Amino acid sequence: MSEKNNKSILEKMGESQVWKSIIRSGVPRTRRQRMHAILGSVFLHLHPARLPKHAVKVGYTWCMGGLSFFLFVNLTITGILLMFYYRPTVEYAFTDIIDLSEQVPLGIMRELHRWAAHSMVLIVWLHMVRVFMTGSYKPPREFNWGIGVILMTLTMLLSFTGYLLPWDQLAIWAVTVGSNMARATPFLGNEGPGASLLAIGDINLVHVGSDVRFALLGGRFVGEATLLRFYVLHCIAIPFVAMIFMAVHFWRIRKDGGISGPL
Amino acid sequence: MSDQKEIVAPRAAVGSVSKSRKTSMERRSFFSWLALGWLGFAAATGGFFTVIIRYLFPNVLFEPPQSFKIGFPEDFAPNSVDIRYKKEFNAWIVRDDESIFALSTVCTHLGCTPNWLATDNKFKCPCHGSGFRMTGIHFEGPAPRPLERFKIGLANDGQVLVDKTKSYKWEKGEWENKDSFLKV
Amino acid sequence: MNLVAIKSAIDALSAPTISFTILTVIFPFIFPPSDWFEKIHRKTGLWRMWTKPGGVIGMILITAFFVIGYFDPYFNKTLTKADNFPIVLMIYSMWFYIWLGMFKAYRNDIRIEQGLKPEEYNDPDDKVLVWPDLVYIEFICLILFQVFLIVWSILVAAPIEEPANPAATPNPSKAPWYFLGLQEMLVYYDPWIAGVLLPTFIIVGLMAIPYMDINKKGDGYYSFKERRVGMFIFMYGWVVLWLFLIIIGTFFRGPNWNFFGPFEYWDTHKVEALTNVNLSEILWVKWLNQGLPSNILIREGLGFVITGLYLFVLPVILAKTYLKDMYAAYGPTRFVSLMTFGLVMLALPIKMYLRWIFNLQYIIAIPEWFFNI
Repeated sequence: MSEKNNKSILEKMGESQVWKSIIRSGVPRTRRQRMHAILGSVFLHLHPARLPKHAVKVGYTWCMGGLSFFLFVNLTITGILLMFYYRPTVEYAFTDIIDLSEQVPLGIMRELHRWAAHSMVLIVWLHMVRVFMTGSYKPPREFNWGIGVILMTLTMLLSFTGYLLPWDQLAIWAVTVGSNMARATPFLGNEGPGASLLAIGDINLVHVGSDVRFALLGGRFVGEATLLRFYVLHCIAIPFVAMIFMAVHFWRIRKDGGISGPL
Repeated sequence: MSDQKEIVAPRAAVGSVSKSRKTSMERRSFFSWLALGWLGFAAATGGFFTVIIRYLFPNVLFEPPQSFKIGFPEDFAPNSVDIRYKKEFNAWIVRDDESIFALSTVCTHLGCTPNWLATDNKFKCPCHGSGFRMTGIHFEGPAPRPLERFKIGLANDGQVLVDKTKSYKWEKGEWENKDSFLKV
Repeated sequence: MNLVAIKSAIDALSAPTISFTILTVIFPFIFPPSDWFEKIHRKTGLWRMWTKPGGVIGMILITAFFVIGYFDPYFNKTLTKADNFPIVLMIYSMWFYIWLGMFKAYRNDIRIEQGLKPEEYNDPDDKVLVWPDLVYIEFICLILFQVFLIVWSILVAAPIEEPANPAATPNPSKAPWYFLGLQEMLVYYDPWIAGVLLPTFIIVGLMAIPYMDINKKGDGYYSFKERRVGMFIFMYGWVVLWLFLIIIGTFFRGPNWNFFGPFEYWDTHKVEALTNVNLSEILWVKWLNQGLPSNILIREGLGFVITGLYLFVLPVILAKTYLKDMYAAYGPTRFVSLMTFGLVMLALPIKMYLRWIFNLQYIIAIPEWFFNI
């Protein structure tokens, strides 16, 4: 480095036209630039530009909400990569899963996905415990707590639908036990209370072939159609719904006055 | 809106009566058209979702055949449970002192498949521990009712024919039905 | 002390009847909901759980349990199943974070008693910038967690069992671990309650918490004393009726869904007397010495009366007597919803005890209509 040019490379980059066109405020050095770094970025402006001190302490938030979101993104990416090799049919599903660790380079992709999924369930639970313990559901954040409960349910459903996809003994029996509960749904399941009332003469309207469990499984038992349905629910349908609720959740954090704190 | 109406009406009365009637009629008919429009929208949306629910139930199901022959009645030893048809057809063939019947292998609690424990002389479900006697009657664990029996009869060639499309429930008194067992 | 004796003691203690009872009895002394409990909580030194030594001792106990378990030939099999590792993580993390929350809450309680603001309080004008203070913390958290996941993925292979076989139910068959609480409830309740009604009540009940909790205090900082009743109810539901049932379902349920102590051999032929009777059978056959009436409503009359008394009359009586002040403060709508969710939640331990003590299967048993309670 010559004497007259004592600016760092970063600073020089910060003055270039390309940098300025992307990150409009230059290298964030001053207070003003740093606030602009947050406000000018579509991703970072999830956050406000300034926060009360307690809000940046890991001891207060446990970072659980952020980690939940991180894991969702993480699972989306590893999930997309897994979809390249996985075919949701009874014939191929199991062998494709085996191949993922035997025939595909970087054979831990399924592990990354599965353990991240288990962690996400755990971390979403811990997030709920944190929010309860700090009383952060109290007005004006009642509604957002409700959205959070829905997101937690969706997380568990995502994990549950994914459980079937390896198509091994563990998978089909866990899902058989789980989905048989739907059979007992009042009025909508063929073994639910009230289902026998929904009949015209001798003909039952709600039977094995027409109840809510059938709609979920696409058949009378866990089979080919179920695998496909759960695959679609797992990869598209539930993430789609979860993303909508996540958008509301994040937006409401800001609208309800940012992170909770003592007055 | 209603305030406006009250103001408009007397003023219009000074001028022409017919004109005021005409406007209010127009407004009224506009609202009824609006109501009709919304009703139509609601009906179309409802219809659309009904069709979507129907969409979840395909017209053709590719599942294994529901009725099958299992051999002659003499093939089954008295007081025994035949577990050969469990895997393919989800049925146990039980022969007691006087009859043969086909029991469904679906646990009435949550649909797991119980195992026949010959030493204990019972069906035991591994999921939640429901136990059933050889007759299919439940006696322990959370199962709320006995196992179901399938329709059973003799085919023309003398073989035993099991038809899974029809099942008989004990709690409804259907085990008295002649098709629910085969006298031997 | 002798390790075998400790193991058999743990086996005996972990039977659901005993461990669940111990937890239920001790719980109000750990999270005291009233002055009386608080006094004993202080006297017996249970409050030390929420101090630093308490936290460390908790961690040591959990670790000791797992270490003994790891070297036990039977528990090792359950413990080292790949899919059970999340539950080990769950036990550690739940203990640590609930401890952390209570630790902070107790510090804040003292501050509030002294008339100080909670620790989280800062001058509203004294804010920090998100760039770099928060984004860097988030970035570090995220990287650390990703490293943890990668290490975990390299060390532990995801479980894969034999290809699916619809004819052979594995023994025992377990739901995914986060649903094992529900599966445990299925032992005591019919599927339509345990599988449909209770989950719905859990979700709706959780969503209703902010509308039922009218206590304005404790918003935005850790605290216990100001909202001890709410904390007690939530923690009981969460720790005992959810997490503990998951632990039972994972570690203590073996073949045929029989109970096995953690250090016990999973004997497929273990026979447990499980002959259960319905309330109607107890009433008509045992007490009145006659057959069951053919009319379903008469047969199950007593069950309907008891259920009705519990769900509909009890709240009214409580509103007029014991919970009079609460009713006045809450108003009818809030009171009714709080009672509904509270009584349904309480119905789970009640049914568990009815099963354990009287072998009672159903209070109302109408298999004809698939309606069993």
